[in-house]
Amino acid sequence: MTEATTTPPRRVPVWAEGLIGQMLALGVALLGGAIIILLVGESPLRVYAVLLRGAFGSAENIAGSLLQATPIIICGVAACVALRGGLFNIGVEGQLYVGGFAAAWVGFTLSLPAGVHGIVGLLAGMLAGALWIALPAIMRARFNANEVVSTILMNYVAVLLTSYLTIAVFKRTGGWSETEPVAPTAYLPQLMDGSRVNMGLLIGLALALGLYLFLRFTNAGYAVSAMGANPRFAAYGGIRVQRNVFVLLLASGAVGGLAGAVETLGVHRRFMEGFAPGFGFDGVIAALLANGNPLGVVVVSLFFGALRKGSLLMEVETGASREIITVIQALIILCVSAQILIRRNGGVSGEKRWKF
Amino acid sequence: MATDDLAVEMIGMTKRFGPLVANDDVTFAVQKGQIHALVGENGAGKTTLMNVLFGMHMPDEGRIRINGQDAVITSPQAAIGLGLGMVHQHFKLVPSLTVAENVFLGMEIVRHGLINRQAQTDAVRALSLSSGLAVDPDRVVRDLSVGVQQRVEILKVLARGARIVILDEPTAVLTPQESRDLFRTLRGFTDQGMTVILISHHLDEVLEVSDTVTVLRDGEVIGTEPAKALTEARLAEMMVGRPVASGRKPREGTQGAPVLTLTRVHARDDRGLPALTDISLTVHAGEIVAIAGVDGNGQTELAEVVAGLRAPSYGDIRLNGTEIAGAPADIVRAAGLAHVPADRLMRGVDASASIASNILMGRQAAAPFARRGIIRWGLVREQAKVLIKRFDIRTRGPDAPVKSLSGGNMQKVVLAREFTQGKPFLLIDQPTRGVDIGATEGIHDEIMRRRTEGVAILLISVQLDECMALADRLLVMFQGRIVAELNPATATVNEVGLQMMGVSVDRRASA
Repeated sequence: MTEATTTPPRRVPVWAEGLIGQMLALGVALLGGAIIILLVGESPLRVYAVLLRGAFGSAENIAGSLLQATPIIICGVAACVALRGGLFNIGVEGQLYVGGFAAAWVGFTLSLPAGVHGIVGLLAGMLAGALWIALPAIMRARFNANEVVSTILMNYVAVLLTSYLTIAVFKRTGGWSETEPVAPTAYLPQLMDGSRVNMGLLIGLALALGLYLFLRFTNAGYAVSAMGANPRFAAYGGIRVQRNVFVLLLASGAVGGLAGAVETLGVHRRFMEGFAPGFGFDGVIAALLANGNPLGVVVVSLFFGALRKGSLLMEVETGASREIITVIQALIILCVSAQILIRRNGGVSGEKRWKF
Repeated sequence: MATDDLAVEMIGMTKRFGPLVANDDVTFAVQKGQIHALVGENGAGKTTLMNVLFGMHMPDEGRIRINGQDAVITSPQAAIGLGLGMVHQHFKLVPSLTVAENVFLGMEIVRHGLINRQAQTDAVRALSLSSGLAVDPDRVVRDLSVGVQQRVEILKVLARGARIVILDEPTAVLTPQESRDLFRTLRGFTDQGMTVILISHHLDEVLEVSDTVTVLRDGEVIGTEPAKALTEARLAEMMVGRPVASGRKPREGTQGAPVLTLTRVHARDDRGLPALTDISLTVHAGEIVAIAGVDGNGQTELAEVVAGLRAPSYGDIRLNGTEIAGAPADIVRAAGLAHVPADRLMRGVDASASIASNILMGRQAAAPFARRGIIRWGLVREQAKVLIKRFDIRTRGPDAPVKSLSGGNMQKVVLAREFTQGKPFLLIDQPTRGVDIGATEGIHDEIMRRRTEGVAILLISVQLDECMALADRLLVMFQGRIVAELNPATATVNEVGLQMMGVSVDRRASA
């Protein structure tokens, strides 16, 4: 610390620099995807065109993309809550499962007036999600046990437990591995005809905006951000880090549970075994790619949702299988995180957050 | 002066980092067999100049001659080949290896493809004897005191055949006695015809030990003069560019009631070992009580216990009438604590956040900066602007991230936040670590102003001159105990230094 630190001259604002970098990373990833598509003997241009059409080709397709994006947004916000406090909730997937199951159970067991029933279902999902992360949260706050490992492990328990409950305890007579349908009083209102896009989308957007405002303008949000950036500084300034760790993880789990509740009450209207292929993990990745910014989570989630929706049509119309999308998504994640890392090491912006 | 008398010549050196000119046409010549001090404030370009000499940076302009021969130094290896050696401010030792293993790291003595430990140990012992640097070659570095670790660093340099030794701030971590031993060793080097270049902040030492002094300011050479022709005041003025007050700060007796009282406090460190033993002390309003001591003698734990960051294992702590032993930091702050922590990057700031955001810490939950849970960022930014001006923080504005500031300016952010809260008690830990003379003066004046306002101040510093300049009472800590209380107006540096080393404990014997 003997010489003065220098700041390189800046031509574009920080956010624009980030955006340009992100776009560049996306371009590289799509290029890599094109090579893979060539390898499976398809035309990249055609596949990408079908992909785009599948995602945005008609009002219905756009609605489908939004439908796919909804749980990812909520899961992303869940991960964000933890991430901004310097914590990793990799167990969103598990919270989504138990939250979904709890909401379904409320839906097919209780009988309540319309509206109230749905709200109770959502609350039950949140409660289940919070309870599901309670054990890792206690271990982290009390004994400083790594929450990454414990939350990941809880995922397996959640998936298998809900499977068991669905198949062995609450299975609908005859048919698939699913529970009884949810009573119509518990349905989430749909936003448009001909699509299952529902209230969940608005809930997700409101949560993202709410979290953004909370972090930016409230003193509790300030405490969370300070804790995430430098926990020793936060403790020094009189923030009760241990207690906040517990509360934050619980809140994160509750939002994860809410994502599951929205899926079961808004889309499937029952609990099906394996009902949510990877939404929780996509949400975690969205939160990481957005560097913990809730509004960024919405953007990334919409993109992921579009990829998922587009891939359905792609599979029907071209020789490329749906797995190609997984590959492209992985490439995007690699490129974008590499770009973020490069920027972080070079510039003055960016925060030291997600370091495993 | 004949050229062949010169060990090092750097002519017209210019080094730029982007828009910053770290060295501007610097000409620097060192005579053989001399101790040549290079002094200047932080950012004056001392370290850059030495890094260029040692091959760690390539200069943009200028040339270097070593022992009268033109030299192009492209790497530290090349510099070592030319007989240069550098002892860095932050030691580059492997804690888990022995002294001999560290000395021969990367140039091990090998026999039949295996390391010949005996030969290495013997070589280090011989070198230790001939150089006067007492170390036990078989001790593990982790277990050595900082002063002894420094000897190992110097031995490393000597083992690589250095005839020109560069030391970057070697005394920053030493007690006065250890410093004196070091200087005796360095004098021994020059008696053997070696050359020493010494980078230092401590003006008294510079004048005491060196033959010639070169002063850098803002990347330029202000002057090169024989040490005999200089005084401390003159040297400080050359460095800062204006006269600087030094010595004990004038004061009036404004002492009031006790504000902080520790009674028989014990505490353990992170490993669970006793760190504080039976500490009792009182700080009154309008009084500065300084804790002097070599780093690592329990000062960190004392500060944490007082600040609510570590629970004592036994004892009472009263702050402003409230019992705070074991209470969390927010309670202690509410009881009247303001705290300047020792390690600003680890604890004092959120480096990635803005100055305004850092100024807010500790006050985010209450009026005037928060209303019904909402932070009034406009007000916070206004306050940040006021403080930037008042504390002369060099920055482009309240929204600049703290990590864009220099170390001294970061410290000013911490001081600005903690000094302006109107709290009755101030815990100040290492207020001027890594801060240059000009800024140090300002910080000391601010501390004295708080004293005059009637604030009770507990000052913890490893810099003895700082303790002597500011304190009304001086307590010396050694191995977790308070071993002496002295009057700083009458105590000598030597007296305090002996207490800091535990008087009867001879560290050289244990090394």
